[in-house]
Amino acid sequence: MQPILKVDLSTEEVSEYDIPYEWENDFIGGASLAARILYEYLTQELDPFSEESPLLFLNGPMSGTSGPTVSRFVVCGKSPATGLWAESNCGGFWGVELRKTGYDGIWVTGKAKSPKFLWINDGNLEIRSSEKFIGLDTYEIQEAIKEELNNPKVKVAGIGIAGENLIPSALILTDHGRVAGRTGLGAVMGSKNLKAIAVKGSKNIPVANEIEYKKLRSRANQELNKDNITKIVREMGTAASAEYFDYLGTMPKKYYRQGVMEGADNISGATISDTILTKFAPCHACVVACGRVVKISGADKEQKGPEYETLVGFGPNLLISDAEFVTRMGDLCDRFGMDTISVSNTLGLAFTLFELGHIAEKDTDGLQLNWGDKEVVEQLIPMIAKKIGFGAFLAEGALALGRRFGAEDEAVQVNGLELAYHDPRGVSGMALVYATSPRGGCHNQSDYFLAEIGKSEESLGIKNFDRQAGAEKAENVAIHQNYRTMANALVICFFGSINPELIVDLTNAACGLDLSIADYLEAGERAWNLKRAINNNLGLRRENDRLPKSLLEPLSDGGAAGYKIEFEEMLKAYYQARSWDWDTGIPSCEKLISLKLDFVTEDLYT
Amino acid sequence: MENIFPSNEWLQSLIDFLNNDPDYARIAKKWEGDIAFSVKADGPLKEDMNIYLDLWHGACRGGKILEETEELDAAFVLEAPYGNLVKILSGKLDPMQAMMTRKLIVNGSMTYMMRNIPTVLDFVRCARSVTDKVLEE
Repeated sequence: MQPILKVDLSTEEVSEYDIPYEWENDFIGGASLAARILYEYLTQELDPFSEESPLLFLNGPMSGTSGPTVSRFVVCGKSPATGLWAESNCGGFWGVELRKTGYDGIWVTGKAKSPKFLWINDGNLEIRSSEKFIGLDTYEIQEAIKEELNNPKVKVAGIGIAGENLIPSALILTDHGRVAGRTGLGAVMGSKNLKAIAVKGSKNIPVANEIEYKKLRSRANQELNKDNITKIVREMGTAASAEYFDYLGTMPKKYYRQGVMEGADNISGATISDTILTKFAPCHACVVACGRVVKISGADKEQKGPEYETLVGFGPNLLISDAEFVTRMGDLCDRFGMDTISVSNTLGLAFTLFELGHIAEKDTDGLQLNWGDKEVVEQLIPMIAKKIGFGAFLAEGALALGRRFGAEDEAVQVNGLELAYHDPRGVSGMALVYATSPRGGCHNQSDYFLAEIGKSEESLGIKNFDRQAGAEKAENVAIHQNYRTMANALVICFFGSINPELIVDLTNAACGLDLSIADYLEAGERAWNLKRAINNNLGLRRENDRLPKSLLEPLSDGGAAGYKIEFEEMLKAYYQARSWDWDTGIPSCEKLISLKLDFVTEDLYT
Repeated sequence: MENIFPSNEWLQSLIDFLNNDPDYARIAKKWEGDIAFSVKADGPLKEDMNIYLDLWHGACRGGKILEETEELDAAFVLEAPYGNLVKILSGKLDPMQAMMTRKLIVNGSMTYMMRNIPTVLDFVRCARSVTDKVLEE
């Protein structure tokens, strides 16, 4: 891979960082490589908002090439939401443009004395004032910088008011609403007084074996075009399966407390396609084209359409079944620069606490938090971004809100990160995915919910189990996590339904490697354990591998009714599959050494 | 008499079953659309075969095994090698898994298909119920 550009905003010193070759071989790229690079810097004492706190934007070895679903880059650091490892990847065109500057990453430290943005133009870096851009939203900042640079082709990744206000759910947005949404890295950017990073390049993107790569890329795209999942996602976006998830009881309603909701079928990719969809918005070179562009009534122009998590979060999660309203709330959050999962989840908790009597009108600035009340939701979102009144409590996230009102157990979160909308009572493997994800309650370290409904991959050794089976699927989950850890290392999109053998061939051609599927999975396992070790260093132990209380109770209705997750047994089997110590939650010394993570053992075992 | 998949007897049994099964009638009451199976030669099936079914509002209005010269024209065309369809009909392969792992290619409106997955799954249940036997090598 190409060098990383290192910028210290305190001193305005700029240098190049060459990635050690052996690290590239062992960790490939993206989040895995970032974990290796940042390992020494992520200490328990490190304040995510301190000058020393690193913020690393990194590509994968296929990012920006002509390959399939390879537009993505990842942002990594220490999360202000969880205090743990943070990673969040993002599609669009920004990462592609970064590669064309001759750099594969930007490593930001320090804190600018006044608001700045970075302008990287073909290898030249300028640190420019962004004083006049403060308060702009995530779309306005893109336009303002393009205008200042007098170049509409510049790609800009920026933060909104939420990032400026250091809200733990603040995101980084680029292009047509593509976001690095989770773990609050927009707030880390804000803490550095860094409003945006603009990039423009013209250099060729390096590929080790270009002829072979092009051949494989054509094959992959041909296969993708014939693939059912591609067709489904292209036609209906990422919310294509919403109705099926509803049928299976995996789509949460009323903050995970209800299995059925009238009108839930109004909240689906199919409904969006039938009503407000105007066109698709693909990322760089992507044949899947999951991005939606919609036109809703009363709006003067088209806007980004919601994906699955946003649809459910501001829809059935809050007992709302109005797709146009949900679209507007998604856009509002994007513009303020807040993660829609975290915000909608925290709102769900607030409504729950109001219903249970933990919160009253005196706490909410007089607002009544009644389920399905769209007006209140719309009123609260700006209050969160601007930290106004009750909004300031919500801005802290679900865990903090629960603690503040003496009801921590009601928060549907793991390690400070609010859960995504795939209820493990309908797809039990997600219980382990949420509990053990290195970044808290997240579905993007393994989309095992799709494996549960049939998207298994035989070549990986993943077996089929009943979607509500128990401990017997623990090893499967671990394999799937290893597999998806590699996707996050290559920074390829989960929606590219490419068979694993072909992905490995593409990786080999891009990197000049000779990996087998087993090597590929081992590299995933290595990075999974490295991220675990980082979190162990940050204080994470077995008791952190938990599920929220409400998910341990069966639902009374819907497609998952009556099923109780036997979580402890599942976790024990998972620990065994991972060779993690049941008492401490730390990977065994033997496992770490077998994965060439010897350097980690010094910190964990001495 | 044993219903061997694929055969005219098997097809007629399936049509009869669909028209007499109350669960299918209820679950598929909103379904509107004919379907065709494009069965690709594989193993004991030596030549490709196309099977057509006219499904409408929880019933089957007719069906036939198409002649080689007849055009394959239906709202949904499900294409798979014979062996994969046998696995689905014998319960060894979940239909959703087949769809998601490229073992069964679906052509037609995915929006409509995803909105009607309970109907699709119940149709497979009916087809499994009437399949006594499959071709052998």
